[in-house]
Amino acid sequence: MHPATHPTASAPDGRTYRTPLLRRRLLRGLVAAVVTLPLVGAAAACGDDAASDGKTTISIFWWGGEARAQLTEQALDLYTQKNPDVVFEKVWQANQGYFDKLATLTAGGNPPDIFQIDDNFLTEYAARNATLDLKPYQESGDLDTSKFPPSLLQYGVVDGKLAGLAAGENTQGLVYNKTLVTENGLPEPTTGMSWEEHIAWAEQVSKKTGVPGTMDASAIDKAFWVWLRQQGKDLYSGNELGFTVADVTRWFELWKDARDRGATPTPDVIHEGNATDITKQLVVTGKAATSWVWVNQMPELKKNTSDELGVIAYPGDPSGQWARASMYWSVFRGSKNADIAVDVINFLANDADAVKLLGTDRGLPSNLDLRRVVSDDTTDEAMKQSIAVETELAKTFGEAPQVPIKGHSKVRAELIKAAENALYGRVTPAEAAAQFVEACTAAIAS
Amino acid sequence: MVADTVAPNRATRPQRPRSRSWLRLVVLLAIVAVVLYPLFWMIGTSVKSQEEIVNNIGLLPRNFTPGNYTDGWTNFDVSFARFFLNSAMVSLLTLVGNAVSCLLAAYAFARLRFRLRGLWFAVMIGTLLLPGHVLIVPQYILFRSLGLVGAEWPYLPLLIPQFLATEAFFVFLMVQFMRGIPRELDEAARIDGANAFGIFRHVILPLSRPALVTTAIFSFIWTWNDFFRQLVFLSDLSDYTVPVALTLFIDSTSQSAVGPMFAMAVLSLLPVFGFFVAFQRMLVEGINTSGLKG
Amino acid sequence: MALTTAPDPTRRGTGSVRPDANRRGTGRIRHGEGLAGYVFLSPWLVGLMGITALPMLLSLYLSFTNYDILTPLSEVEWVGLANYERMFTSDPSWWHSVRVTLSFALIAVPLKLAAALGVALLLNRAWRGVGLFRGLFYLPSLLGGSVALAIVWVNMFNRDGAFNSFLALFGIQGKPWVNDPDWALETLMVLAIWQFGAPMVIFLAGLKQVPTELYEAAAVDGAGKFRQFVNVTLPMLSPVIFFNLVLETINGFQGFTAAFVLSNGTGGPVDSTLMYTLNLYITGFTNLEMGYASAMAWVFLIAIAIITVIFFSTGRFWVHYSDGEDR
Repeated sequence: MHPATHPTASAPDGRTYRTPLLRRRLLRGLVAAVVTLPLVGAAAACGDDAASDGKTTISIFWWGGEARAQLTEQALDLYTQKNPDVVFEKVWQANQGYFDKLATLTAGGNPPDIFQIDDNFLTEYAARNATLDLKPYQESGDLDTSKFPPSLLQYGVVDGKLAGLAAGENTQGLVYNKTLVTENGLPEPTTGMSWEEHIAWAEQVSKKTGVPGTMDASAIDKAFWVWLRQQGKDLYSGNELGFTVADVTRWFELWKDARDRGATPTPDVIHEGNATDITKQLVVTGKAATSWVWVNQMPELKKNTSDELGVIAYPGDPSGQWARASMYWSVFRGSKNADIAVDVINFLANDADAVKLLGTDRGLPSNLDLRRVVSDDTTDEAMKQSIAVETELAKTFGEAPQVPIKGHSKVRAELIKAAENALYGRVTPAEAAAQFVEACTAAIAS
Repeated sequence: MVADTVAPNRATRPQRPRSRSWLRLVVLLAIVAVVLYPLFWMIGTSVKSQEEIVNNIGLLPRNFTPGNYTDGWTNFDVSFARFFLNSAMVSLLTLVGNAVSCLLAAYAFARLRFRLRGLWFAVMIGTLLLPGHVLIVPQYILFRSLGLVGAEWPYLPLLIPQFLATEAFFVFLMVQFMRGIPRELDEAARIDGANAFGIFRHVILPLSRPALVTTAIFSFIWTWNDFFRQLVFLSDLSDYTVPVALTLFIDSTSQSAVGPMFAMAVLSLLPVFGFFVAFQRMLVEGINTSGLKG
Repeated sequence: MALTTAPDPTRRGTGSVRPDANRRGTGRIRHGEGLAGYVFLSPWLVGLMGITALPMLLSLYLSFTNYDILTPLSEVEWVGLANYERMFTSDPSWWHSVRVTLSFALIAVPLKLAAALGVALLLNRAWRGVGLFRGLFYLPSLLGGSVALAIVWVNMFNRDGAFNSFLALFGIQGKPWVNDPDWALETLMVLAIWQFGAPMVIFLAGLKQVPTELYEAAAVDGAGKFRQFVNVTLPMLSPVIFFNLVLETINGFQGFTAAFVLSNGTGGPVDSTLMYTLNLYITGFTNLEMGYASAMAWVFLIAIAIITVIFFSTGRFWVHYSDGEDR
């Protein structure tokens, strides 16, 4: 094992370290100071969970924009209408700082009853018992998942526990600039093209239009993941990596070849594409003809360009893609009103009116019956398009992989670092691959 | 250039040739233009449409879109005016807290002799050195333990520390300024029968104006811009402050309202800019210490 | 008058010798002053004991644990020196961030101070419109680390940004500065220097505190403008220069905001802007290794404390205090 890769790495059973008396006293003093103070404070803060008017307050926390806030608040108000005894403390913010705040609140023993979470952090929270296991509610029927695609539900299971309920479904989508391609008399890309065909097509686009044909996907974890699955591998397998240095080398070489052939933008623009948010994807800023996104991000992309956009699956066999939970609702394990909280997320997933209100803001509705209703009602063209594409792709979806394990955030960051190291020509693809695997192994060792 | 700017007193200085004033103005304007170009760009962007912000990186908009200002102001359930008021309140109270509590502590460190003074001074400097990010979680736990989190008035965790001189930066700043005040003045006051409190009241306080003004400016502006602590401790939209509200416009995974965000960012500069220009006037020309001695 | 000639040359280099120790030294505490000291100090002491100390000590304790924020404090595991060991022996990104931070601070801090002092001297004298100019120079600092600033800066310094358009006027082909791992840190330095408002204001305030009669006396002695600057302004400003030097050094080493904002919180491209505190933040909050991050913070504290002590001990040779006391 790598020496001291993690504080606990050298003490696998956690008991190797004796607890010296002094240390124990120090710890006891500190923890006592912090733990006994609440008794003083509790009197002042008075139980806010059960307000004097007999109503129960459920706190709920999510990230997103103003539109999501509006829709979610309306849906929650609807719940209060139907259940007048339950009111909500709604907290929302943009994704910047969201997980910092969620973690801090959790550390303070004060997390919201319900919180939105994604697959980067689900395992981190579930593995530390911060999330309530929803399985018992599912079995008792209090949480109705009968209309969920099984693989979407499965993608919320961590260590046999249902840690999060998919708040919506999305899948990988390759967005291309339809106007640019058709005006230059080039063929539109199609689902099912191999990666090599995609790159050859992109090379053609670059030559004909002067706009680089494709964003370089080497640093994009969701593309790497699909590619791995198409090679019969996976990102993770149990608590290990599901791939080898050789796999990564091939992936990096694929993209080095693409760059050498002029199919991609220059390294600085690729970095820009890696670092930027959804509104500045290269397909929108006109710096590339295609970008690697999630299908349900189409409407937002559309707002930022006057060109027409098309969306297909990532290259290769489309069964490499799966019904991914775009985000989850989780219930805090220590919630005093867990039953009500579960009822609320059940309502958000299965109540026809609520689902209609929420629309496709968090991805396609998880409840398949209601998904049909929502897609029939949609008037937004871009949204219609993304629903159609995802519904089509759903027919070929493969099995859901396991939810990313602890350390996934680090793995994503390391992929960007390694890919960009190769991109800027500082190392060869093989060297970058070796560095990446070494760093990942260290990151997930904990 | 350096030398001719230090002449402190108009009366003793011969009249400067007009041409050199012009030269100075031209030089200053040139520097200002370069330094402020990014801000001009920011203002230009605040009147661009969403699509143009992404695709037109020029200074000026092709289509003038002043609607960003009204859109931004009314973008949320709560008017942006509310965020301005919240920020103004937090910033002003922080200013008062810092000015009073840090001045008292600084006086003790700069002028009074007491046991363990050196140790406490070292501790004070030491509190400046720990990167704040590892303190957020322990602080949150502490404040929650004290019952300050989730109270009816959510600003207590942001303000109480400011009234207890926890901003060592300002204490140290004022210490440095006070040590520039000649001790002869203290001695003179002491001979007149003043004790430590009297010296503070009649000598140090009046002469600490530059330090107080500086503290006021920084307290206000830094609090106005502070993001992380306000993010962690405020949870209700109607309690949010300007920096927290500004981030609400951009969710990098879904929706962005970049134009309105730029418009509000430009507006949020105005109060602090006004505050600065108003307060810097109080940094007046050299103190004449001899007047105080008589 | 006792204070007309600024620093008494005989005091230079006397080091620890304190001719006035009997009168003012800490050896004897004037009757009642000890009590008054603690009275004036009490708000700070309460703040220290009640608010500052406990989180600091807790973070020190946590630096010996595997604390991950999400696990309750009562369940954290003691790991001894493992975090510190890991930092020094098996964390290349830690060493990398140390190097990045050093090169950032060594270049950005002196340049920022020079810019601040230069502009402060230009704007010191009262003339019509000086307040506006002071405000204009302070404006960049008002932006703090907002989202808007990130977008602005990237658009100034990417391949087709304003800076390159400017260079093109002279036929120079620019780089994609912010997106080039060889230049991203320099772009960060420019941002830090650009926000020179805070030390500028402190210099301005310091210049205001120089007693005018010192200049009058110097003028009477026949000193020109330059000699006045060297003999009066610099020594009288030295406590403030000292303050700015210490604080900007601390700030420079702690430089987080600019790096966070410019790299979208990643320290990229390829870790070229991975400042120490940014690395610490990512470690603590994104990777949830707050125990390790705390250890990084305490090593940082010790390193900066050493630098600060060096500053304070050299200060006695060049910092002039009008209260006639060394510290």
